[in-house]
Amino acid sequence: MGSYIIKRLFISIPLLLVISFLTFILINLSPLDPVEVVLQAQGVPTITDELIAQTKDELGMDKPFIIRYFDWVIACLQLDFGVSYVTGKPVWSLIGPAFLNTLKLTLVSSVVIIVLSILLGVICAMKEGEIMDKSVRGFSFFLTAMPSYWMATLMIWYFSVKVDLLPTSGMESYKSYILPVIVIAISYAGIYFRVVRSSMLSNLNEDYVLYGRACGLTERKVTMHILRNSLQVAISIFCMAIPIILGSTVVIENVFAWPGLGSLSVRAILGRDFPIIQAYVLILAVAFVLFNTISDIINAVMNPKLRNEI
Amino acid sequence: MKKRKMFVFLTMLMYLFVLVGCSDGNDAKTVSTNNKKKTELVYASAKDINDMNPHLYGGSMPAQGMVYESLVENTEDGIKPLLAESWEISKDGKVYTFHLREDVKFHDGEPFNAEAVKKNIEAVQNNAEKHSWIKLSTKIESVNIVDAYTVELVLSEAYYPTLVELSMTRPYVFLSPKDFKNGGTKDGVNGFNGTGPYILTKHKTDEYATFKANENYWGGSPEIKKITSKVLPAGETTFLALQKGEVNFVFTDDRGADSLDVEAMNQLVDSGDYQLVRSEPMNTKMIVANSSKSDNPVSETAVREAIWHSIDRETISKDILNGTETVANTLFSPNVNYADVDLKKRGYDLEEAKEILEESGWAAKDGSDVRTKDGKKLAMKLYYDSNSSSQKTQAEFIQASVKEIGIQLEIIGEESTSIANRRSTGDYDLLFNQTWGLAYDPQSTISAFTSEASYLHTTSGIANSDELYKKIDEVMVSPDEKTRKSLYADILTIVHDEAVFIPISNGSVTVVAPKNLKGISFKQTQFELPFELMNFE
Repeated sequence: MGSYIIKRLFISIPLLLVISFLTFILINLSPLDPVEVVLQAQGVPTITDELIAQTKDELGMDKPFIIRYFDWVIACLQLDFGVSYVTGKPVWSLIGPAFLNTLKLTLVSSVVIIVLSILLGVICAMKEGEIMDKSVRGFSFFLTAMPSYWMATLMIWYFSVKVDLLPTSGMESYKSYILPVIVIAISYAGIYFRVVRSSMLSNLNEDYVLYGRACGLTERKVTMHILRNSLQVAISIFCMAIPIILGSTVVIENVFAWPGLGSLSVRAILGRDFPIIQAYVLILAVAFVLFNTISDIINAVMNPKLRNEI
Repeated sequence: MKKRKMFVFLTMLMYLFVLVGCSDGNDAKTVSTNNKKKTELVYASAKDINDMNPHLYGGSMPAQGMVYESLVENTEDGIKPLLAESWEISKDGKVYTFHLREDVKFHDGEPFNAEAVKKNIEAVQNNAEKHSWIKLSTKIESVNIVDAYTVELVLSEAYYPTLVELSMTRPYVFLSPKDFKNGGTKDGVNGFNGTGPYILTKHKTDEYATFKANENYWGGSPEIKKITSKVLPAGETTFLALQKGEVNFVFTDDRGADSLDVEAMNQLVDSGDYQLVRSEPMNTKMIVANSSKSDNPVSETAVREAIWHSIDRETISKDILNGTETVANTLFSPNVNYADVDLKKRGYDLEEAKEILEESGWAAKDGSDVRTKDGKKLAMKLYYDSNSSSQKTQAEFIQASVKEIGIQLEIIGEESTSIANRRSTGDYDLLFNQTWGLAYDPQSTISAFTSEASYLHTTSGIANSDELYKKIDEVMVSPDEKTRKSLYADILTIVHDEAVFIPISNGSVTVVAPKNLKGISFKQTQFELPFELMNFE
C-alpha cells in the first residue's frame, strides 16, 4: 500500500502543474491591465503611465507570460512563494495564518458533519418510512434550502443579540466557533446523512444481514455490520467534503468576520494579487489530492478486500 | 485488528488536538465584549487597517489619521498650525519656512525636529511616481534644516495649494526616522510611530487593531483611552454587533460607503442607545460623461444637458437615499473653496430636456421610444459600482426617467476597479463617480481634469478644452487670490456649461455613536475623525 500512496502522490504533481498553469492563463485572460489593478488595490490615487511602467518592471510583469510562469514554478520548488504584489509582504505570512484559521473551522465543522450525518443516517434508515424518518428528512430539506448567509444572520440575531450567549463574530474564543460550525454543518450534514441512509437501506437486504440475524446476532451487532459496510461511500464523500468546505467558506467568513482563506482569496482576486491567487489555488489543489488519497487509505483499512486491489 | 484500533485512536487524537488548538484563550480578553467602560470606543470597519505606512496608500485613513500628524491643519477657517507653530512664505512664493513645535515626540520617544521633517519629506519625494496625484510632490526642490526646529521647503515655482496639500492625511505626515527601512519608507517600514494622539498597540490582520491614547501627546492626553478597529465585512453583522454592544461606533468609510443602511441606522437611534451625527456636505456624487467619445451621442453637449434636466434629484435624495444626502445642482457645493460661483440653473424639467433634444436634431419618429438622428439611435451605457446598492437603484431610476425623453440607457454594474479602469481608458459613455472632498477640492478634482487616469476623457471632448487646461495650469501656480478666484470661476463655468459632470447629490460623513458620547465633530475631510476631541458624558 505504501508504494500505492507514493505512486498516487507522484501522479498528482503533473496535475498540480496543470492546475496552476490554467489559473495563470485564466487570470491573464482578464481584459484589465493587472499592474493597473494592483496599483488601484494599493490605493494609489492617480496612476500615471510612468508609474505603471515602473511597477511592471519591479514586479517582473514585463516578462512574457510563459517565462513568468516558469519562474514561479522554479521558485515554488524552492519553497519560495514570492511576495504579495499589493502589500509587498511574503505570501506565506499572509496566506499561512488565513489557511490555519479556515482549516480549524473546516476540521471542527467536518467532525460535526460526520457525527451528525452518521447519526441521522442510521436513525432514518432504521426507522425508514416512519414519522421520525420523514420529519428528519423534511426538516433537513427545509434547512439546507436556506441560503447560509441568511441562516447565519438569523443565528447571530438569536444566539448573540436576543439570548446574548455567544459573540456575533470574530475568532476570540472557542465560543466563536459554535455559530459558524452550526451553519456549515447544517448545510452539509443535511445532504450527507441521506447518503448514509440510502447506503444503509441498500445494505439491509443483503444476504449477510439475513445470515447474521439467522445466527442470532443481536440487532445492535447487525446494525454495526451494516453501518460498516455502508460507510464506504460515505467516507469518500466525507473526505472530499473537507477540501470543498476549505474552498467555499467565503460567505460564512464574511458574515462571521472570520479572518480566513475565503476573504483573503476574494480580495487577492479583485486586486490581481497573482502570487496569493496562485498559492491559494495550489493549497486547494493539494488539499483535494491529499484528502482523496486519505479516503482511499481509510477505505482500504476498513475493507481488506480493497487492499488487494490497491 | 490492532492496526485498525491504532488508526482510530490516532484519528481521534488528531481531532482532539485540533479542537484544543482552536481556543487560543489568551486573546479572548483583548476585545472586550463589554465596552460599557466610559473610555473606550470599538468601531466597525469593513476592511483591515492594513499597512499603516503613512507614505503609501494601502492603509486605512481614519487609523492613519489617529497616529500621524501633518505640519499644518485644514480647518473650516482655513489653514491652522499643527506640528508647525508658524510659518513664512517668501515673496516669490517659492520658499516656505516652518517653525516647529518644540514639545513634540514620536511615540517611540524620538524627538520631532527639523531633521525628522527633512527625512520624512525626502522619503516621500524618493517615491515620487506614487504621489503624482498631489501636485506639490512635483514642485518640491529641497528641504533644508535652518536650525533644530526650523525647516525650509523650497519649491521650483510658486504653488498656492502648498499648505492645503501639506495638511492632508497622507503623504506629508511624519513617522519616526527610526522606523525607516534602508533610510526610506517606500520599501516598507519597521514600525508605526507617529506623533498623533493615539498609538497603535496591537494589530491582528483581518481581526482587529487597538490604539491607546498617547499620554504624552503635545495637545493633552485624549479622554477616550482606547480605540479598537474591528473588522466586520458584512453590514448585517455590524448591525447586530452594535445592538449587542460588541462595537459601539461606525462611520462612513474611505470610499464614501456606509456599512449600515438607513433603516438600520434609524432602528439603532430608536433603540435609545445610539445617536446619529451627520457632517456638512463633504463631496458630490455625480455622473461623469465621456465627452471625447465622438461616435456616441454623449459627446454632444445638448444630450448631456438633456440628461441633466431629466434627473429628479429631489426624489433621489428623498426616496432613494432617504434624506441622507442632499440635492446637488453643481459640481461643487457652494461651501467648497472658490466654488460659490453663479452658474446657470438646470432643474428637473422633462419638457425642457425634450426641447433641447428636438433643437439639436434628435427626433422622435412616430411609434419609436428612442430618438434618432441621421439614422443613429440615441442610446448609451451607464456604469455603476455593483457593490453599491444605492447606485444601482439610482441607475434604474435614471434609466426610467431618460426613457421618457427618448434616450435608451443601458445600465451595467461592475466592480469598482473595473470602473476605475474604464475611466482611465475612456471606455465608457456615462459612469458614477464622486469628487475628492472638502479638504481636497476644488484643486484635486480640478487637476484630475487633465489627468489621463481620471477625467481627461471626460473633459477633452468639449469645444474649449485647450482653454480649460490652460486655465487649470494657471490657477495652480497663480499667487494672487483674486486671479485664482476668477480663474476658478471660469473653469467651473466651462465644465458646467458643457454639462460633463452631472451632479446628483452631496455626500456627507455619517457617524453612529453611543448616545452619551460628546464632542463628535468632523474634519475637513471625509477620511478622518477627530477621536481625540470625543469624551463620554
